[in-house]
Amino acid sequence: MNPILSVEGVTAGYGRVTVLHDISLEAGRFGNVGLFGPNGHGKTTLLRAISGLLQPKSGRILFDGQDIVGHSARAIVGAGLIHVPQGNRLFPDLSIADCMALGAYSPRARPHEAENREKVVRLFPKLAERWRQRVRTLSGGERQMVSIGTALMSHPRLLILDEPTLGLAPKIKDELCASVMDISRGGVPLIVVEQDIEFLLELTQQLYLVNHGAVATEIKPGESLDHGEIMSMYFGH
Amino acid sequence: MSALAEILFGGLFQGSLYAMMAVGLALVWTTIGVFNFSHGVFMMLGAYIAWQLVELGLPAMIAFPIAVVVMAGVGWILQASVVRPLIGRPNIVLVVVITTLAAGSLIENGALTIWGPRSKQIPALIAGNTTIGGVGVSLHQIAIIVITPLILAALWMFLNRTRLGLALRAVAQNEDASHLVGLNVTALYGLAFAIAASLAGLAGIFMGGYRFMSPVMGSDPLLKALIVVVFGGISSISGPIFAAYLIGFFEAACSYYFGLYWTPALLFGVLILTLMVRPEGIFASRSRGLA
Repeated sequence: MNPILSVEGVTAGYGRVTVLHDISLEAGRFGNVGLFGPNGHGKTTLLRAISGLLQPKSGRILFDGQDIVGHSARAIVGAGLIHVPQGNRLFPDLSIADCMALGAYSPRARPHEAENREKVVRLFPKLAERWRQRVRTLSGGERQMVSIGTALMSHPRLLILDEPTLGLAPKIKDELCASVMDISRGGVPLIVVEQDIEFLLELTQQLYLVNHGAVATEIKPGESLDHGEIMSMYFGH
Repeated sequence: MSALAEILFGGLFQGSLYAMMAVGLALVWTTIGVFNFSHGVFMMLGAYIAWQLVELGLPAMIAFPIAVVVMAGVGWILQASVVRPLIGRPNIVLVVVITTLAAGSLIENGALTIWGPRSKQIPALIAGNTTIGGVGVSLHQIAIIVITPLILAALWMFLNRTRLGLALRAVAQNEDASHLVGLNVTALYGLAFAIAASLAGLAGIFMGGYRFMSPVMGSDPLLKALIVVVFGGISSISGPIFAAYLIGFFEAACSYYFGLYWTPALLFGVLILTLMVRPEGIFASRSRGLA
């Protein structure tokens, strides 16, 4: 199976600061991909480069075989590569209904709006109860559901989640994990950045440890690792 | 009775003009996060374009809409030339104050060169006068009092009931997230400026119908619009609308009881007091956002 996304030798950063150094990785060949590693080592920057929010200085990013470097974020969303950013900040003064309508803004997603809305409501019944409520009045877990729901409205062919469980209570984390699993089973491949290794091991088949703006270690399916080994990778030997 | 009628009428009339101006300023601030100091010049240019079209022989009812549409284009171009290239700079608010001031000054002097300093006037929306409650008023002013709320209501409907309006409100709240749902953020910025410029141009046409026009006619309304948005809170468009009418009534009452001479001083007194007590404005919530 061909990878749906491959990042080839991408260097990127902000101004004179380079964050990503010639990073390469692939997603979609063995199922879902997890990225982990210490904070401040380029995971979020990599996602921003993939979704077109940040222009890489060099390298190629192939989505479904097509180089998307230099494409606008809008074109990339239009192609079905959907990125749920970190921190579920979203649109604080819009209602859930408004967010869902925005998710379906791209011409590719518009014809599937009703069908995707049903899917979101089935996945997150809690949102239906608060459909007209402003996002800022929701709990952290509910806001994360809105973020993911909005992404599903965009009819994703590849879904990127940046630390979906950040700051959530363990019980809500488990619920969210089950929902994300449902999405994956529905046929949408995932790239998940997470600090919670258990969450990643449950959801993904292939792992990358991102360190100093490059891939330090790749863990392919079958190379099962226990928690202790990953921890030692995290903190050095 | 006639005092009350005079204050009521004067307040409604001034408030309408201020609201038209202030809403555009607020729209640009909430969506792009910059202050447009060429907003007063938009008002002047709208009036002059309308005057020119009438002078060329077009009937007013055709000339005015054309001028408003042309102003939308002017707003878009100004945004693309002196605002968009600066977006992403850390000190954008201050830089855009300077670039829009510069562009405004350029347009103002351009108007002076093209049309000359002699005062001009454009036809009233409706000619003639009438008497209400013992106060003589022009039909033009009554037309403005009636039309302005309709236009503001239409703007509100556009922002709250259409998909494009929803996109504008979204950009106002979170630019990155707007990119990630596939909104064309640059086009929406252009749209915000275009709408603001059209509203300013329309306010200019309203004003040119009852007062003499000059190339600097926009600077006082810009100042008033700034007071309105500071007073009402810049974070929404409904705040400035209420504030515009409030200030209109305040001015009308002041000039009736204390005279025109004291009105600006009293107005600034109220503004300073507001800033001391509620720096975010009286109708403001603490976040940025339209509607």
